[in-house]
Amino acid sequence: MRVMVIVKATEDTEKGIPPTPEAMEAMHRYGEAVAAAGIALVDGAGLLNSSQGKRIAFDGAKVTVIDGPFAETRELIAGYSVWEVKNMEEALAWAKRWPNPPSGQSEIEIRPLFEWQPTDETFAERVL
Amino acid sequence: MRVMVFVKATGDSEKGAPPTPEAMKAMGRFNAELHNAGILLMAEGLQPTSKAKRVAFEGPGRMVIDGPFAETRELVAGFWLWEVKDMDEAVAWVKRCPNPMPGPSEIEIRPLFEMAEIEAWLPPEVLEKGADRVQRWEALHAQEAAAAKTTALDVDL
Repeated sequence: MRVMVIVKATEDTEKGIPPTPEAMEAMHRYGEAVAAAGIALVDGAGLLNSSQGKRIAFDGAKVTVIDGPFAETRELIAGYSVWEVKNMEEALAWAKRWPNPPSGQSEIEIRPLFEWQPTDETFAERVL
Repeated sequence: MRVMVFVKATGDSEKGAPPTPEAMKAMGRFNAELHNAGILLMAEGLQPTSKAKRVAFEGPGRMVIDGPFAETRELVAGFWLWEVKDMDEAVAWVKRCPNPMPGPSEIEIRPLFEMAEIEAWLPPEVLEKGADRVQRWEALHAQEAAAAKTTALDVDL
């Protein structure tokens, strides 16, 4: 099954404070360990803070554009990975090992993706 | 530049209510336009948060929280990954999107960090150690970009 692993924002990520070299190294080691465990990284990236983002609100025929930054920091997304895993337990076990600064607080959300049958459909067939 | 385009959840999506056939068709047409314009890299739907878990980190502590989660309008129900020229192009496409939900809804556009920005943060010795990983990362995104540039589809939906 595929899951989206969502790393939630913190005050630091929203301020655009870059990770320390130590944190980047820990992330690198973690990525290697996940790959070595046979979990396929389908995709993954970090998001610029929400000051660079936009929201578009739909209400009936009305469409409104709202500029970032957005207020509810702890609900925002700072980064994501899409993993191919055996089950939720495996995803959870690896999410728990995500490198976290020793004194920091953060949250990760694991969300199963809808799977499309048959699984050998091409990308285009799936989304059209 | 690459952007994540998040479709935010609503009461309907959190209940697991499937979209109507008309809504599916309208979204299919929009996806075909995105694909033919060469900007569509990924499109996925997320199952309702009743199927999800959260891990809360506090120092060395890890606490697992089972879904569903309460703050519905802040949750994500689906996403696209797009390759666009700039934010203006992304906003223009989102404005053309059929309302993804039966009622009021929201879509959020977030630019991604690209390798150049990450490299600017890193001392060279760390970069060197991670060189093979950087190469894999770049190969992954080259594959995505190639997938987006496949032959235009003649869809009649």
